[in-house]
Amino acid sequence: DGVAALPAPQNLSVQSTNMKHVLTWSPVVVPEEIIHYSVEYQGEYESLYMSHIWIPSSWCSPTQGPECDITDDITATVPYSLRVRATLDSLTSAWSTLKHPFNRNSTVLTPPGMEITKDGFHLIIKLEDLGPQFEFFVAYWKREPGAKEHVKMVRRGGIPVHLETMEPGAAHCVKVRTFVKAIRRHSAFSQTECVKVQGETLPL
Amino acid sequence: LKTLHLGSCMITSSLQAIQSGFSEIQDRQPKDEIIDLRILRKTQPLQDTKPAGQCCLLHHVLRLYLDRVFKNYQTPDHRILQKISGLANSFLTIKKDLWLCHVHMACPCGEEAMEKYSQLMSHFKELQPPAAVVKALGELDILLSWMEEMD
Repeated sequence: DGVAALPAPQNLSVQSTNMKHVLTWSPVVVPEEIIHYSVEYQGEYESLYMSHIWIPSSWCSPTQGPECDITDDITATVPYSLRVRATLDSLTSAWSTLKHPFNRNSTVLTPPGMEITKDGFHLIIKLEDLGPQFEFFVAYWKREPGAKEHVKMVRRGGIPVHLETMEPGAAHCVKVRTFVKAIRRHSAFSQTECVKVQGETLPL
Repeated sequence: LKTLHLGSCMITSSLQAIQSGFSEIQDRQPKDEIIDLRILRKTQPLQDTKPAGQCCLLHHVLRLYLDRVFKNYQTPDHRILQKISGLANSFLTIKKDLWLCHVHMACPCGEEAMEKYSQLMSHFKELQPPAAVVKALGELDILLSWMEEMD
């Protein structure tokens, strides 16, 4: 019945950065043929309460590329099992299952991009828009001995935010990290950037 | 992420994400025309449950959804399956947090909570299983609005 005539995809793995999760695998190669793949998943609920049920992924049932964006399928902070199979016309491979279930709390959180600008004496920051799950912890201070560090939580990226009114002639510095409530984790701080009201941005 | 205060038990939950998943299910579901058959709606309002009993009642209601509703919901619609999976796994996460409260004696089951839950279960059992499952899923908005008020 052709079920195992096609080799199953191998080397399944998930790359996850900043809450974007991509499942990849080694392509099944049949000369001059186009292979399609189907991806399915099981959250912890399915594996505990209805282990025979697998759910077709939102974007990859079927798909041609040896990868699948599963971000929209991983919607809870629980372990998810993932499996892939190949199909060629009526031929279907066996399922290959990810060795270890994936939990989004293992995503790699990178320091966010930021753009520091001056508007007159006003210090303005614009943060990388990483999506609705991200908040930003912005620390800023005047570069002088014993200066107090101020903190501001910014709920969304992509929009300019006023941090403070700067003192002429003094350098003002900023660093930022992200925070993702859904997984209760934050990224490392970004590089510190300083700006002087009359000068250009001073890289550290 | 929202913090839910249930008497001496406090948990956080992504209610907004759960609500949007449920809204998409509602959009794809035929409108519920049978209005004389009710489950949550016929039960005494969850809203006026005393804080001390909220954790226990919510824990039992979530267990009902996990054990008997999501599991038995049949649909050929992959999109609905995906959304129900999201709901179920989010509810599972909440239930685990409530269980921690229970372990730390912060989730007492008083008479009021148990009375409401048994009322709810009797309404659930009045219906045939498939109808009860569809009805309970359709009334999730009542449960979510109750949880929304727990801040």
